[in-house]
Amino acid sequence: MHFLQYFQEGPADTTNFMIAGYIIIFGVMLIYLFSLLVRQRNLQKDMEVLEEIQSEEE
Amino acid sequence: MESKPRLLTVLDVVTVILLLVATYMVFFYAPQEAVMGDVQRVFYFHVAAGWVGMLGFIGAAVAGIIYLIRKDRKWDIIGLAAVEIGIVFIFINIVTGAIWARPIWNTWWTWDPRLTTATVMLLIYIAYLLLRQGIEDPDRRARFGAVYAIIGSLSVPLTYFSARLFRTIHPIVIAGGDPSVTGAFDMTPLMLQTFMFSLLTFTFVFIDLLWHRIRLGRQADEVEQLRLKTIQ
Repeated sequence: MHFLQYFQEGPADTTNFMIAGYIIIFGVMLIYLFSLLVRQRNLQKDMEVLEEIQSEEE
Repeated sequence: MESKPRLLTVLDVVTVILLLVATYMVFFYAPQEAVMGDVQRVFYFHVAAGWVGMLGFIGAAVAGIIYLIRKDRKWDIIGLAAVEIGIVFIFINIVTGAIWARPIWNTWWTWDPRLTTATVMLLIYIAYLLLRQGIEDPDRRARFGAVYAIIGSLSVPLTYFSARLFRTIHPIVIAGGDPSVTGAFDMTPLMLQTFMFSLLTFTFVFIDLLWHRIRLGRQADEVEQLRLKTIQ
């Protein structure tokens, strides 16, 4: 099936790669969630400032 | 900004629970693969991330078609949201693929047809975001986004079928493939259950994130309209 099986007894020790993979998966997802939150806060602030400017003009 | 719908809060909770269960299944329910060892566990979320990415890009193309027919900017917001989520998950898919490849193929990267087409697909959609930013008129930007998303979506079937159409070392786990390919493996029933559950979970993740991103897009649209009004 693949070359590892001809040279080894039992499964290969690849735990560190698995951990690295899941750090990437959850890390990127968390960063994206955080970016959504930050952008939402910034837009909220922009909205408040623009509404203030508009009310001053009126 | 409009208040958060109750259904979205329910969806948030359900998605988090599903993600926790799927993570438990990946680490404790699915058996260790006999040859590759623990790194094979990356497979469940690696494929699920690719699934979400492709859902995002196909979703953007559908939204693009509807936008061109109806000229309603709501569909542009949906398309943009879908592309952004697609990019995030295809990025996860490619990086986790490289991590899986290192101990199995003995290299982080190879210009295999599947890896190459996936990377080209990612770059096409990153360009979508960059090019959109250069267009100030919202209607022109939406029209451009719609056409680009429709044409760009051709890269999705090309990526999916690349491992079937071309000679490749990338294993085809779904619907067979060459069992002699390096990294190929037979799924036991427990592996298959974990895999299907991961796909379901990531579909929920996609819907949940899409909803949040659409709300953000609507808010951005409101701010843009207000800004244009203030300038005039």
